[in-house]
Amino acid sequence: MRIMGNNAVEIKGLTKKFGNFTAVDNISFEVRKGEIFGFLGANGAGKTTAMRILCGLSRPTSGEGTVAGYDINTRQEEIKRHIGYMSQKFSLYPDLTVRENIRLFGGIYGLRDREIEEKTDALLGLLEMRRERDKFAGALPLGWKQKLAFSIAMIHDPELVFLDEPTGGVDPETRRRFWEMIYEASESGTTVFVTTHYMDEAEYCDRVSVMTDGKIAALGSPEDLKASYGAADMDEVFRTIVGRAGKEDRK
Amino acid sequence: MWKYLLEKEFKQFFRDPGLPRMALAFPVLMMLVFPFAVSMEIRNINLAVVDSDRSEESVRLLEKCTSSGYFRLVSLCGSPEEAMRLMDGNKADAIVTISSGFGTETALGTGFPVGIKVNTVNGTRGSIAAQYLQNCVMMYLQDRSQHDGLPAVSQTVDISEKYYFNSLLDYKLFMIPALIVMGITMITAFLPSLNIVSEKESGTIEQMNVTPVSKSAFIICKMIPYWVIAFFVLTACLLIAWAVFGYVCRGNVLWLYLYTFLDIVVMAALGLLISNYSNNAQQAMFVIWFFAVIFILMSGIFTPVASMPDWARAITCLNPMRYYADAMRAVYLKGSTPADIWYDAAGLAAIGSVMVGWAIASYRKSL
Repeated sequence: MRIMGNNAVEIKGLTKKFGNFTAVDNISFEVRKGEIFGFLGANGAGKTTAMRILCGLSRPTSGEGTVAGYDINTRQEEIKRHIGYMSQKFSLYPDLTVRENIRLFGGIYGLRDREIEEKTDALLGLLEMRRERDKFAGALPLGWKQKLAFSIAMIHDPELVFLDEPTGGVDPETRRRFWEMIYEASESGTTVFVTTHYMDEAEYCDRVSVMTDGKIAALGSPEDLKASYGAADMDEVFRTIVGRAGKEDRK
Repeated sequence: MWKYLLEKEFKQFFRDPGLPRMALAFPVLMMLVFPFAVSMEIRNINLAVVDSDRSEESVRLLEKCTSSGYFRLVSLCGSPEEAMRLMDGNKADAIVTISSGFGTETALGTGFPVGIKVNTVNGTRGSIAAQYLQNCVMMYLQDRSQHDGLPAVSQTVDISEKYYFNSLLDYKLFMIPALIVMGITMITAFLPSLNIVSEKESGTIEQMNVTPVSKSAFIICKMIPYWVIAFFVLTACLLIAWAVFGYVCRGNVLWLYLYTFLDIVVMAALGLLISNYSNNAQQAMFVIWFFAVIFILMSGIFTPVASMPDWARAITCLNPMRYYADAMRAVYLKGSTPADIWYDAAGLAAIGSVMVGWAIASYRKSL
């Protein structure tokens, strides 16, 4: 059964415990269809754990919700078919060529050989990587790898794509171009769920949430957050929220 | 989906800088180098002789010893003390002392004044040297009674030995099935587990886990290339053994493949288990090393299981390599059929079902 609504993600009371440690503590939020949702938080705040649950990689200890209309507790396999995922750890096989990487993931998502060939051709043109088609993915510059990995995560036209710190380690210009790709995906109707440590990227999101200690401390559009925290930019918002949580810890 | 995954695995296998070469080098090394290196045959035993008789008979006895090819006469000593000094100096492994009156006493049948001393610092070498020397003496006595028509010195000494299945006690022939066993185990258990762990390390396994690829399909596709290689190695080894040494499998070759298949199932489960409990290649290597040593030493490949103490024999019952090695030797050397060695199949199946169950359970949990 698929619940179709206006939200790509709906989460209520999501909790994940590892022994005595509560990584994700009773969080609830929605991600609207077609929006770019920034998922921020300090290291160890529980972002990755929450995201793994949403992708169907791990099961919540308690709580309920849907991703792309499928229940996170019971329909994980369907979720996987309808989402794209790109992680900070490289998702490309370095010992396969650019073309072979595209072919592998196309095949995995059930595309036929001919569809894969068309997709490959279109993708290589779009990425301006025609000349690199037979190069090993491991030999590409980092920025190119990231663009290719993103395109591969989008190869089956998913309704929702998860990007886990997609732009780590590259220069601002390369990051800006990567965000152009994210905007294009968003304009064509794909919902984007992105984690990042760059606060200028947070400004590009439609809405952001900030996690501290397993809880969502703030959620709203960058403008609203800046206004309510009386901050000039997202960087200040982030430091105010995370700094406050740090002080509470020390008490 | 399977097509694309298999394509990936085979491409990665053949692109690896080491793996394809290893798959080729393995059978060649195993069949052309190791049989000579692991030979337990003892040759070139240094022999010192104290011949106080110096009769025709004593010379005949010594000739018997030296012509066997196992002994190298290092010195004819004048006294037992001199010979002992040679042994102390590690120049002689064995001493044969022939007392004066040997010729006459053997002729009369009143006695056989020959002494044998063997250096048994290396127990195996020593006891085999003693055995060989006794055999030489025996042969001398037999010759003597046949050729000369003389009555045998002592009718009580009448040992006739007959070796079955490997009549020349050829150690190479004995080791070839066992070497295949070790090679197949390495290829089917340890290499795939390293491969899975390396995908864990690089993070690509996580990417696979968020796709609709089922976990079992992913793992099976990972293992298939190694299974293909395992059967290739088995075939290559059998061909090399035939082409180079002229050895052929006495039994139906099909049974070799059947037992290899059983072993592969057990080993695949073991490989998966190791990769489930290891987060990086280094950890996996330690575990592999641990298992490899226990498997090989407790398998009966080098030392017979039957001569182990009871508790050690009990441990070997848990070792899949013991059953596989036993089956391979039985089929290859004796021509056994599964009806004869059903217990090996049963052992592999029992261990296999436990391991497969455990591997699947822990694999599910590890995600």
